[in-house]
Amino acid sequence: MTQKIDVEKIIGFTGYKKGDFSVCLGCKICASVCTLNDFSMHANPQGLLLKIFMGDDSIDHDPLIKNCVSCYRCTDACPWQIRVPEVVRALRESLKLSSPFEKAFKGSISIWGRVYEPYIFLNAIGFLIKNGYLKHLMKWTEYISFHLPHKIKRI
Amino acid sequence: MNVIIIGGGISGISAAKILLKEGHRVTIIESAEEIGGLMAKIANCRVGFKTFFDEIKDRQHLTIIKGKKIEHVERKNGIFKLKIEEHGEIEAERVIIATGLTPYDPSDIKGKRVFTSLEYDSIIDQRNEKLPEDFNKIAFILCVGSRSKEYPLCSSVCCSYTIREIKWTLMRSNPEITVFYNDLRLFGQEFFLEKLFREKGVRFIRTNTRYFEEDEAGVTIRYYTDGEIKEERFNYAVLGIGLRPNQGLLQLSKLFGFSLNEYGFVKEVEPLTADIEGVYICGGALEPMNIKDSILTGFGAGLLASKGKEKVYEVLRENERYLYSEKEPELDIDESADTYLLYAGTENPFSSMFYEYISSRFIDFAKKLIQSGKKVYVVTRNFVSPSYSELEYEEIKRDGVIFINLEEGEYLEKKNGMVVIGGGKRSLSLTVDRIVFMDDLISDLKNKEFLSFYRSEPQLRWSPTKWSRERFHVGFIRHPRAKRWEGREIIGALSEMLLDREEERVIPQVHEDRCSGCGSCKNACPHSAIEIISVPKDVAIFGLLSNTLNPVARINSNLCMGCGLCVSTCPSDVIDLPAA
Repeated sequence: MTQKIDVEKIIGFTGYKKGDFSVCLGCKICASVCTLNDFSMHANPQGLLLKIFMGDDSIDHDPLIKNCVSCYRCTDACPWQIRVPEVVRALRESLKLSSPFEKAFKGSISIWGRVYEPYIFLNAIGFLIKNGYLKHLMKWTEYISFHLPHKIKRI
Repeated sequence: MNVIIIGGGISGISAAKILLKEGHRVTIIESAEEIGGLMAKIANCRVGFKTFFDEIKDRQHLTIIKGKKIEHVERKNGIFKLKIEEHGEIEAERVIIATGLTPYDPSDIKGKRVFTSLEYDSIIDQRNEKLPEDFNKIAFILCVGSRSKEYPLCSSVCCSYTIREIKWTLMRSNPEITVFYNDLRLFGQEFFLEKLFREKGVRFIRTNTRYFEEDEAGVTIRYYTDGEIKEERFNYAVLGIGLRPNQGLLQLSKLFGFSLNEYGFVKEVEPLTADIEGVYICGGALEPMNIKDSILTGFGAGLLASKGKEKVYEVLRENERYLYSEKEPELDIDESADTYLLYAGTENPFSSMFYEYISSRFIDFAKKLIQSGKKVYVVTRNFVSPSYSELEYEEIKRDGVIFINLEEGEYLEKKNGMVVIGGGKRSLSLTVDRIVFMDDLISDLKNKEFLSFYRSEPQLRWSPTKWSRERFHVGFIRHPRAKRWEGREIIGALSEMLLDREEERVIPQVHEDRCSGCGSCKNACPHSAIEIISVPKDVAIFGLLSNTLNPVARINSNLCMGCGLCVSTCPSDVIDLPAA
């Protein structure tokens, strides 16, 4: 059985050391302030961290994976200032959970350093149609631009 | 000899007490307008401090300078010359740093209904005739301002004072009380208080929160427990604030030239000794500690300042027979397995006393195991690593030991070869090769007489190491705790012995001619100070003289505390307390 959760890999994505996350006291202050809990989503960042460290595979149902907006309220309240949103993003990356739109968005940023709408449109067309996002197309066309942006200079 | 004590709190006064007894001239410099420090701010400790201080306040050789700061310090030929504002110069051979602790100020989360434990204490102060009208539902939130990135030590007293604040609250009123905690770091008999309060309906929830929504009528607290988020209204929320090193220490270290450690406390090179000659440390200048330990270290620093290290060794040799210590048991686990689960949890309040000891052992075990590449889980119902021990706890977490905190109602069980955490909503299961239970490790220790358990908690006593006049407990048997305390405790105990010799006591007298030796006084004595001995006695039977041995009670004056229980128990009134 291959494990879905590879702690080292996930921590590697965040750019921090493992110890920066494993100092967690388990106090659940993060859960008390989490924005998702304003909508009763029962999100618990501490539980998510524990699951990662234990290699628990049932992780993709966690409300944070789907909904975390990286507001860093948990980090702000955490006594150890643990950067949970970073872990969530790394998890999405390693579980390949990011939506085609997200991928296209990131791809556009990494190529041009800005959002280039035609690129996103072409790459995520299936996703946009499937989820009914095309109804926003009219609004989008107001500021859409078709000239090709410069490639970013990598220093 | 002249000795200067900086800080007029409980540890400073304790140091003054032993120094005055040894015949030195003592000057206490207090920066506040009144002496007493943090202890005198607590309503129920105020009187205690006063009685303690009243014993020495009229001594001729004691000078107290209040509300003044030290401006300049000069040292020549081993003599400190201190210049004090609006007071002039004073000289001293030795200096004791007893600056105490500063309570953390959580100004960012405080409000009208969310306040600190010290503010709460002034509400339930018995000098206030009435409690607020809406005193119905109160939340206590622990670990505010300690165990964090900014200040990684555990303040080690917040859990204890919270449990006492609950006691004082319940003595006056009957509100619904909820305690939000991370670990309940109680000591000795306090675990019995916890059990009592649980039975009385005080809720303990193992979670913490920073979500307070305050309005005119109360405060809404949101917290996460047992897999779901909950919101609840309370009338008041009390923040169990931690204790930080005194801010004045930085200035003092510059003036005197001793060094501080990275957390802002005075660096201790030997027990109670700073890194420059003639400067000793006690109380909260060392680390966060409770009142009893402040007294203990105050006594110790006083003795060191009075006699110096070498002479203290002499005192130790003379009095060694009164020191009672026991070797701590050697606990070990075999290292043959690959995955370990250490379970720090017990239901019995007596065993709970060993949480601190077992936690420190578990830290050692886990460190050893994780370094040899094993996987280690620690499942905790409670994990007690106060003050500097918290750093070791943090370190093994960084090293990769996984801590699983059991919430209220959860338990550990074995199911199909797996360890399952049951009782709650979360489904967590582990496969481990070896489980180490806390209860198994301490099973041999249960019938020992630990001082911190039997004699000293939760009532405040002025005798931190005394078991009886012939036995002063130090080390493991006093309080199973970290090694750095051993030296401090021995010096403190020696000091306490010297003080104890001077104390006046009332010893009951037995009228041996009338005593029948029934032994009821012996059974009643809580300190085992009464023995039944046989004395020869001439008895006349029908005019004949015969010699017999008569049993009579005899009181060992060294063990007797003068409580008078034997006097009231004696069925034939042969024991008297001498009139004062």
